[in-house]
Amino acid sequence: MAASLTGLLKPWTPRVLLVRWSRYNPYYLEPGPRKEVYHIPETELTPEQKEERELKSVRPIKAATNSVTSSVFNDPVLSKFVNMMMKDGDKIIAKGIITQTLENMKRKQVEKYHKAPEGKKAEIECNPYAIFHQALENCKPVIGLTSIQKGGKFYQVPIPLTDNRRRFLAMKWMITECRDNKHRRTLMYEKLSQELLAAFSKEGNVVKRKHELHKMAESNRAYAHYRWW
Amino acid sequence: MLYTCLLPACQSEQHLGQYYTVPPSHFHTVFPHGLPPRYQQQVKTFNEGCVMVRQPALELISHLKRADYSKPTLRYLLYGVKGSGKTMSLCHTVHYCSTQGWLVLHIPDAHLWVKNCKELLPSSYHASRFDQPIQASNWLRNFRTTNEHFLSKIKLRQRYVWTKRESTEEGRPLGELVDMGVSRVKSSSDVVGAVLKELRLQAGGTEGGFRLAVAVDGVNGLWGRTTLKKEDKSPVAPEELTLVHNLRKMINNDWCGGAVIATLSQTGSLYAPSSAYLPQELLGEEGFDSMDPFVPVPVSLYSEKEFESCYLYYLDRHWLQHPHSQTEEGKKELIFLSNRNPSVLERLCAFL
Repeated sequence: MAASLTGLLKPWTPRVLLVRWSRYNPYYLEPGPRKEVYHIPETELTPEQKEERELKSVRPIKAATNSVTSSVFNDPVLSKFVNMMMKDGDKIIAKGIITQTLENMKRKQVEKYHKAPEGKKAEIECNPYAIFHQALENCKPVIGLTSIQKGGKFYQVPIPLTDNRRRFLAMKWMITECRDNKHRRTLMYEKLSQELLAAFSKEGNVVKRKHELHKMAESNRAYAHYRWW
Repeated sequence: MLYTCLLPACQSEQHLGQYYTVPPSHFHTVFPHGLPPRYQQQVKTFNEGCVMVRQPALELISHLKRADYSKPTLRYLLYGVKGSGKTMSLCHTVHYCSTQGWLVLHIPDAHLWVKNCKELLPSSYHASRFDQPIQASNWLRNFRTTNEHFLSKIKLRQRYVWTKRESTEEGRPLGELVDMGVSRVKSSSDVVGAVLKELRLQAGGTEGGFRLAVAVDGVNGLWGRTTLKKEDKSPVAPEELTLVHNLRKMINNDWCGGAVIATLSQTGSLYAPSSAYLPQELLGEEGFDSMDPFVPVPVSLYSEKEFESCYLYYLDRHWLQHPHSQTEEGKKELIFLSNRNPSVLERLCAFL
């Protein structure tokens, strides 16, 4: 609905409109916090970038959230993971757990690297960010299941998933796995680092859960035509 | 030039900012208990222990080389903001002393003796004092590891009576005393007192004389308040603890033949504001009067050259893994975020 109304919106229409979680008028543009974009001199801009710059000088821009920085170390996927892990709005604790996890993973890998013989050194991945992204990729399901009602009964029907949904499912499984299946005395960051390293090498409970979902979807292939979209 | 292979005795100003490796054989003997915990983790990860040569440590070592050991002991005090490298400079100096063959008395943190003590026994030797058996026996065990070769050479000059049936005679080696302290936990605090007294008497001696280095971390814990309570819930003053009492006698400069190197520490201190780092603020009146006169050694944050060196060391050890941290932009951001503070930089680079 908001997409069709964009043409009718003008700057003097009210700033706040109720569109799901976003209370901004869709007329407002997203903020762009990266510095490199603004350092390119006038002559080297492509036509799209020139257009974008002109648009930005005319239209109002939304306020940036607190978690978005212009730092080179800012990672949107990691910020999303931190938000999902956060409880009761305590981002400091969640961010602390993630930094400890990254440090723990890096320590384990660097220790292995320094003790490994020369030939094996190139295969050991030490970058905790690369491990995190690859592990998340390995946990993302390709196909999902949804409950559709047909003739009084509910069937589990395989459906394609959007990128956002896949990323959400991978992160959710990772967090629930680490919260539930750990020993009372293991700390969260320790368990998370173990799970992420296991997912990086395609082992571990989260990857198993993804495979089970795939198997269920495969076994329910017959109901695929119940999907009408 | 990032690494130098010279031991502390041969290092000079031209090696400022370079890293030298502590040989693995020295590690467990010289530092069973002195190093900061994050540094110990770093040593385990990199499989080697590298220390940066910095100005305060070099200054201390040059003082120690040129001091006159027939005069009363000089006291050196390392002070600086939180995380500027005081404990590491102390450990560097302790390594120098042990490579030169001195006897090193390293107290890792004096604050551990004035807080969180589960067992406080009333002392058998003196009615109003309290003993701390666990802390004393732990320290004796580490002392034994550090100074193995001295234990058989030093003989006691006095007879010590522990109970009706046990006593240590004159002329027995020091090792026997230390072993007794480790095994008989109840009298370990008195053993510590006896060991300190013997070393004080024999340090400057001309026959078989050795030099004594007393290295105390967090010396401001010896004066001030404790968090310990007696059975009637009244607070214990530091003077009423045997360990603290004996250590204070050690820090007085009424003996000769060695040096006292101390560090101030706000991190473990009790009832001190977190912005305090100067000797006057942390030691208090009583402490400053006892430590006076001392040689103050300020420990500052990393200079540009030292920061470069630390950054290159982390790159070399494959510790800075984030692709952006290896660019110029990332480096500028690290300087801004850490303000060149060594411990803050270490914590930042840990997850980058």
